[in-house]
Amino acid sequence: MTSDTPVLGISELHAGIDDTPILRGIDLNIPPGEIHAIMGRNGSGKTTAANIIMGHPDFEVTKGSVELDGEDLLEMEPWERARAGVFLSFQYPQAVPGLQVGNFLRKSVAAIRGEEEAKGAEFRKKLKDAMTQLDIDRSFLGRYVNDGFSGGEKKRFEILQLLLIQPKLAILDETDSGLDIDGIRTVAKGINNAVRGTGSSALIITHYSRILEHVQPDKVHVLIKGQIVKSGGPELALELEERGYEWLEKEAEGLA
Amino acid sequence: MDAASLYKSLDEPDRADHLWRYTPWKRVHPSGDLNEIPSVAAPEITLTCLEDGVALVGISVEEAVVGAEVLPESDEVTASFIRAAAGRAVYTLRVENNFIASSPIVLGIDTGDSACALHLTLDIGRNCEFELITQISGAAPWTGFLRTGRIGDGSILNDVVIGYTDSGTLLRVDSIAIGRDAQVKAGTVSSGSDRTKADLRYKMGETGGHLNVLGSILSANDMHLDHHVEIHHHAPETFSRLDWHSACGGNSRTVGTGMLRVAKGARGADAGQLFHNLLLSEKAEADSIPELEVSEHNVVGCGHGTANGPVDEEQMFYLETRGFDTQEARDTLIAAFLNSTLVEMGSETLHHWLSEHLQDELEDLKS
Repeated sequence: MTSDTPVLGISELHAGIDDTPILRGIDLNIPPGEIHAIMGRNGSGKTTAANIIMGHPDFEVTKGSVELDGEDLLEMEPWERARAGVFLSFQYPQAVPGLQVGNFLRKSVAAIRGEEEAKGAEFRKKLKDAMTQLDIDRSFLGRYVNDGFSGGEKKRFEILQLLLIQPKLAILDETDSGLDIDGIRTVAKGINNAVRGTGSSALIITHYSRILEHVQPDKVHVLIKGQIVKSGGPELALELEERGYEWLEKEAEGLA
Repeated sequence: MDAASLYKSLDEPDRADHLWRYTPWKRVHPSGDLNEIPSVAAPEITLTCLEDGVALVGISVEEAVVGAEVLPESDEVTASFIRAAAGRAVYTLRVENNFIASSPIVLGIDTGDSACALHLTLDIGRNCEFELITQISGAAPWTGFLRTGRIGDGSILNDVVIGYTDSGTLLRVDSIAIGRDAQVKAGTVSSGSDRTKADLRYKMGETGGHLNVLGSILSANDMHLDHHVEIHHHAPETFSRLDWHSACGGNSRTVGTGMLRVAKGARGADAGQLFHNLLLSEKAEADSIPELEVSEHNVVGCGHGTANGPVDEEQMFYLETRGFDTQEARDTLIAAFLNSTLVEMGSETLHHWLSEHLQDELEDLKS
């Protein structure tokens, strides 16, 4: 790895599901410490991109490469990717009835950051601080993972994990969806604390620019029909907010 | 008529009967010769408190001459057979009125290594509050365990029976009446024997009785674990729930059959039963048949359901994205599935103890 190696390097990525192509040649580099956003309508391939980076078994990569710090992610199992430093905050996190949040967090942190970081007073303090930051009550630890959680609780729980795991790369898939404005502010604060100034990088996948008002991206990419059709600075998100996606879809059709 | 004569006077159970559909009597009889009532040993019984150094006052196990009668709603074949085989191995768990224990009481039943049988009467007084763990362990090739009796009015009892034998066949029969306003959780944790046939029947014969029947069943290898649960609502304003979780791996088979009967006059009864099966291998088999017979129209609700499926792939992916390797994710999901009912069986202390037991069982099955 050289100093200019991106944390996430995606090159000419083609992928799909059940022989249906979804991503049609994506190139994306996220340098250390940067936050990038992918924006696009429903069905543009945003969540597929997140799942492919994380290694969801239903998706098939037909061409291209995905690297983390120069290492081939596509050769790794999902849990190896997690241990290598990739974290995915899910749009719809799975409920696991019977699995207590406290036990789950300890096991997860132990698996990713090592046994030493998942025990003792230091872990408990870190957990308490993160929960305070996200306005999560202590009783949460006795509940079952995402079981009976409201939409907002699920999102805050994902960010709680992000704060504890401190990955190299955080992928945040529609983390703002289903949140009210206070919820967005709380979650955004958690994301900023987890990423800004820590050397971590993030890829924010979103529909709307709301969360980007609170988590300032370094770059914004627009995904249409499985291709990045435009990249720019944070001002691109504002332009999309004002003009929608139609003008870019027309441009993309013209290019095609 | 004594138990042996009663048994011999009965017809061989019909496989069309709900109780015997999946595990015929011949398969759980100690010798397979249905006319034989073998002479078997008595298991060793101990009564202790989970918390060390606590003296037991107000609760005892006593030898008895005869045990409490079996409910009319129970199956005569299994009950009379165990009573006949048990012979003098008849005991009463006597609990005085207003007995309260803050730590679970452990009734240990050590089968030793020869076939054995036991008839235990539960004589639980009024307004008691305690948790009872009945742990059946040992290496007997055949164990018969019959419980009869009554939970006293107003008592709150968390009653968990753990089948923890190394191998062999366990034939278990419960025939228990729930007293007025009593609140009972009847838990079954089963994972030890090669073959289990359990016929568990509870009578809600007095107003205000409240019963939760819970199962955490883990089967592997060639195990065959068959549990039949009947809850009979006779009195008004009675409540029951059955929530049964079976995780089934290897070449094993689990069977869960349920019967909810709401008799005419059981106004305001509220009853439901759910069976969930987690299939861990292609060769594993799980059958669940819940049944309802409701003769009273003025009820709060009566329902039943069943769900079967393999380990959820999306849950697996979620745990793997959190660093759990494939085997850890799978083991965690199995434990979580069984824990969903385990946690409902009683207090935090009881749950902690049961969870450790379950973890040991999961480790044993992997080794």
